Amino acid sequence: MPFVEDPAHLSKARLKSDLVAHNVALPPAASKKEVYVELHLRNIEQKNAAEFSSDDEEQTQEEAGRNEDPEVTQVPDPSKLTDECLKAALLKHGVKAGPIVASTRALYEKKLRKLLLHSNGDGELNGAEKAELYSDSEEEQEEEEEPDEESVSEEEQQKPKETKKIQSENNKAELKFHRGDFSYQQCFLLSSRLRAVPSRNGKPCSKRHSKNVLKSSERSQSSCSQILAGISKPSATGQHSGLRSALPQEKVKNILKEALPETKTTTTRIYATPRRPIKGAAQRPIQYSLPHTLVSPVTLERREVERRLVSIHIQILFFVFVACIIFFIYVNVQDSTVLALLDSLSHCFDKEGGTLLLPETEDTQALYEQD
Amino acid sequence: MSSTSQKHKDFVAEPMGEKPVMALAGIGEVLGKRLEEKGFDKAYVVLGQFLVLKKEEELFRDWLKDTCGANAKQQERRRTSSP
Repeated sequence: MPFVEDPAHLSKARLKSDLVAHNVALPPAASKKEVYVELHLRNIEQKNAAEFSSDDEEQTQEEAGRNEDPEVTQVPDPSKLTDECLKAALLKHGVKAGPIVASTRALYEKKLRKLLLHSNGDGELNGAEKAELYSDSEEEQEEEEEPDEESVSEEEQQKPKETKKIQSENNKAELKFHRGDFSYQQCFLLSSRLRAVPSRNGKPCSKRHSKNVLKSSERSQSSCSQILAGISKPSATGQHSGLRSALPQEKVKNILKEALPETKTTTTRIYATPRRPIKGAAQRPIQYSLPHTLVSPVTLERREVERRLVSIHIQILFFVFVACIIFFIYVNVQDSTVLALLDSLSHCFDKEGGTLLLPETEDTQALYEQD
Repeated sequence: MSSTSQKHKDFVAEPMGEKPVMALAGIGEVLGKRLEEKGFDKAYVVLGQFLVLKKEEELFRDWLKDTCGANAKQQERRRTSSP
């Protein structure tokens, strides 16, 4: 049964828009609200009556099928579904499932069952509360959508619609709570995105760092959906337990704290950083950045001295050798052979015509005779 | 974050390589045996399972509970010990 708002409770502007929507001629601008209300009641009630009586398929489906919908359109038994169908069913509930493999299948089936139970429970509750929801919170929702859509890019626009769907399934209290979350998420996503992109451009230098940043930027882009899905998931599944409703709040706080100083974004609170390689481990040879030649000046001097020591020895030997030769010559001057040598030398000088040399030879002879 | 045990420190100090599943912090004899029976005989296989579940804590927790009956704290340790 579709909700019937009491026109008297609606604002004048709302009444006006409703009338326009129903193609009813508006009363003069300065007319009182009562006029609007009357027109509203008259015309819209007529319209509703007309809609009821007509064979509008959608209407009947909506009415009759509302309670049956979750049961009929979604296949009840998850274990009988194929992998593809299971994945599609999970996606319908806003859960982006990973690969459905032997080891993961049981988990996802359980998850789908949980979701089906919750969605069924929600469907019954919603019928009674939707009137409240619509009248009170629709305006708030509209207000929120506008600023959000302005500031958010295309990708993220789709996500608000998804989360809005899920939110509409929850209770009113939960709705407000999630809206708070949601606005948080928007800010956080924007800031993380903005931070990730310029950092990527500005740091191409070191391999490891750029890898990190690229990963974080990719992660932040792909995690738009993940984060929203991840946070909407606990909201969808954890309605009835007080603990779980606290989780998304914690997650948001954690994410805000840790994402704003750093650009990494994860849904699982796991922050993986590559570890610095342990020096000398796993056959990684230790490479010293400085060369071995950096030694103290004392040792340098010592090395020079050592070098010279070797040559010094040779020098000393050579000197001693030469000294011995001269000594021997000096000692052997007394022998005759040396005299003969000297005579021959004097003869040479005589031939050249050096008269001065003669007295010299005489002097030397006299000297030798004295010895 | 709670303080880590010695077992945890030992595990994260170096690449896990071929460490057995019992080297994981929080997995002792009993739980290790159960995991090995299911085919998860090395730590990297458990890591693989975590990755296949798209690194989602909730799912991993559920899986661990189903597979080896570990309680929440043990699961948390295992999650944090894998990088």
